[in-house]
Amino acid sequence: MLDVYTWEPNANSGKPLLCLKEKQVSFNYHYIDMGVREHFSPEYLAINPDGTIPAVVHDGFVMTESTPIMEYIDDRFDGPRLRPEDPYWRWRMRQVMRYMDNIVAPSLAMLASNRLAAPRFRGADPEELKRELDKIPLPERRAAWEKLMFDKTDAVDLEESARRVAQAIGRFEALLTETPWLAGHDYSLADINVMATFHSLPASAPDQVSEAATPRLWDWLRRCHARPGLQQAFALGKGLIGARVAETRATLGVAEGAAA
Amino acid sequence: MIELFHGGPAGHSASVLIALAEKGLAFESRPLDLATFEQHGEAFLAVNAAGQVPVLREEHRSLTESFFILLYLDERYPDPPLDGVDARVRYLTQKWGKYVETHIAPNLAIYAWAKRGAAPGKDALAGFARLPLERRALWRRAAEGFAEAEVEAARAALVKAIGRIAESLADGPWLARDRYGIADIAVFPHVARLSGLGFDLPASVVDWLGRIAARRQVCEALGDTGLPADITPTMGPERGRWG
Repeated sequence: MLDVYTWEPNANSGKPLLCLKEKQVSFNYHYIDMGVREHFSPEYLAINPDGTIPAVVHDGFVMTESTPIMEYIDDRFDGPRLRPEDPYWRWRMRQVMRYMDNIVAPSLAMLASNRLAAPRFRGADPEELKRELDKIPLPERRAAWEKLMFDKTDAVDLEESARRVAQAIGRFEALLTETPWLAGHDYSLADINVMATFHSLPASAPDQVSEAATPRLWDWLRRCHARPGLQQAFALGKGLIGARVAETRATLGVAEGAAA
Repeated sequence: MIELFHGGPAGHSASVLIALAEKGLAFESRPLDLATFEQHGEAFLAVNAAGQVPVLREEHRSLTESFFILLYLDERYPDPPLDGVDARVRYLTQKWGKYVETHIAPNLAIYAWAKRGAAPGKDALAGFARLPLERRALWRRAAEGFAEAEVEAARAALVKAIGRIAESLADGPWLARDRYGIADIAVFPHVARLSGLGFDLPASVVDWLGRIAARRQVCEALGDTGLPADITPTMGPERGRWG
């Protein structure tokens, strides 16, 4: 029995969905609506007391760290291998994921949530918001939501996040001059990890990402979006992500239809 | 031949020294003096521009990030194995690796730095200026001195980490359950410093530290002095900027 508790096929939430679809493993998808903060509900906290998504439960074994979950999925299930055999290239794959997890994805999350989610809290009752904050178990998560709800993200922090995202675009373009995929000659967890957050880069960073400015990244996006596993995973989205990805595929000139 | 740049038997460097001893691998030792910030000198920055130890070199490739080095060594030299035979155990190993890097080590660095109370000298400041932006920002903040609230948050995070270790040891003798391995090696050098900094450790954690410290390979790796009581903390990585 494999249960995946998560939000949209996006960022950390998306990692297990993208990996499982790539390997064609069947699972039960339990949609946790982050928009209404369902991940802080007593029902979800009973599964993951930290209140972070995703949570993956395999035959009673509960996992809550998204990148280790990716390695577990590749380790445990049949299907195409998603990690290089060679230990050095595995190290490279893990470095790409670490850079994404620690530096890049949180920066993009800060920018996107300030743009998309922060306006929704304007005019809300501050007492009510404080009660909502009290439901969040991890102090670091609470701090981020507090900034979001009360519009308190420093301009300096937003600027730094934009700088980091721009730097990542340059670094990935450089990596792709070396090998066709981000960690070697085969599609790997590194590509999936980056796609989970950067799937719609042509729309979110049109000034920086284009066929002319970043030809290798553009081609990589095209090759990723053409993969049936990824198309199927993105098709699981119930909200804005599915539409956004479809729009990106159109921009890239990738045919629809691989999705089952 | 493996070449290891390290800061002596402490912190992340100790983990890699222990793993090399457990695997029985010979290596060229390249020690750096962290007390004088040798890792920020021009010579070492040519090896690792981030100015961080350990760095493992093999076949002209330089590998950084101690936990990933541990996984690399275990994958490249599988005998004796230092990770579980079961995918679940390997998940737990990875989870501990991430937790050490992003929670235990950075909070320990902030707390230990604040307890020492010494301001860095002119040479140290010159070294910080040579670092890449993110690393430089971390050291600048350390040089300015951490606010009380930050030190308190670091202390609380370490108390929580001790709780998580004790919780895990209730499920099995080692952090990844039945067998001693990479998870224990990654966490041990950091937690071994906590009593000296005034933290109370539950009996199960003290016992676990003792069992690791008593291993022949660990004694060999740590040398005559063992884990030093007072080391110059190394900052980073930054704590999450967005949760």
